[in-house]
Amino acid sequence: MISINGSTELDGRTGTDVSRIDRESVANEVGAAIAHQLNGPLTALLLYLGDLYQGRDRFPVGDQDGLSLKEVAENALREAERVCALMRRLGDSFEAPLREQTAFAQGREMIRWWARAGIASHDAANTQAAPVHQISLTTRESEVLRLVREGCSNKEGGMRLQISHRTFESHRARLMRKFGAKNVADLLRLAAEEHAGGDSHRSALAVQRRSARARRSGEPARCKR
Amino acid sequence: MDASGQHARIEVPDLVKPVLRVLVVDDDESVGAAIQAILSRRNYRTELASGAYAGIQALASSRFDVVLVDLFMTGMSGIDAIAHIRRQFEISIIAMSGFRLRSSLDPIDYFGTAIQRGASMCIRKPFSPRQLVEAIDSSVAASPLAEVALQ
Repeated sequence: MISINGSTELDGRTGTDVSRIDRESVANEVGAAIAHQLNGPLTALLLYLGDLYQGRDRFPVGDQDGLSLKEVAENALREAERVCALMRRLGDSFEAPLREQTAFAQGREMIRWWARAGIASHDAANTQAAPVHQISLTTRESEVLRLVREGCSNKEGGMRLQISHRTFESHRARLMRKFGAKNVADLLRLAAEEHAGGDSHRSALAVQRRSARARRSGEPARCKR
Repeated sequence: MDASGQHARIEVPDLVKPVLRVLVVDDDESVGAAIQAILSRRNYRTELASGAYAGIQALASSRFDVVLVDLFMTGMSGIDAIAHIRRQFEISIIAMSGFRLRSSLDPIDYFGTAIQRGASMCIRKPFSPRQLVEAIDSSVAASPLAEVALQ
């Protein structure tokens, strides 16, 4: 049992839930990447403003109305610190290890459920509507998966496909997301399972379709396998 | 025996303090430049390296008291760089990291790992000039080399 959203509730789920989880995880990653990129500029900004702030007593004090330079420096630092605090909170909420583990567990459970539901369905009339789970890969993703399986590092893989190692890495990351894998070893395992599961699933489906046709036309069902 | 800088306020540059040589390894040049600007005002000598390899080269060619290493760099990661530096050099290592993101794909405790690989301490970006200076001073004070030098 993973959580309140664990396996027992899965049976009521539909395809929209899957795409919601997928969207969520993608949004999380985009958010994480942006927050990560903000790190550098924010660090530099806080250092510069902190430096101005510490030298604020040396600023000339004007006699005009409005804020003095000293006050401007104080306000600037305060606002920058507010932004940093906000970013920290954002970072913390992206991290949420429990939610993330739950999401992976849910993803894997979902894959198994799709497979089970598809194979267990003996009602031929439902065959078309039954959810057929198959992780569809682009040509590039299949190539990357093949190279990962061969033990290529990002650099080697990138060189073999004549793309940058960063691009290779992002393909691999997308593969891991699609499979819900938590590391490369997990990706290979899940990909192997998917491969095996997909084959037996397809053959089971083919048997069902054949028997459905046979029933409709009044012929006995033939099963070659 | 005075407090030897332990309680010295950083606003007042302590001129008695020996000049510390600091190497900053960060692939974000704006961070390195800002750290350099802050430290140069406070009697530290700072050099910048834009990546792990450049940092290791700099360490091999001249002496430093402290090295600040960003954990998330392209190419060799900060974690690997720290392990490498620890094996090769006697120096205080400070790990810098952001919001500990990237965790959606690999849930790793980066700070814990950095300490394990030999970092003396970790500071989380963004940090203030005061946090930066305190981190540098305390990591140097805590290093076994500094103890030898004091005796």
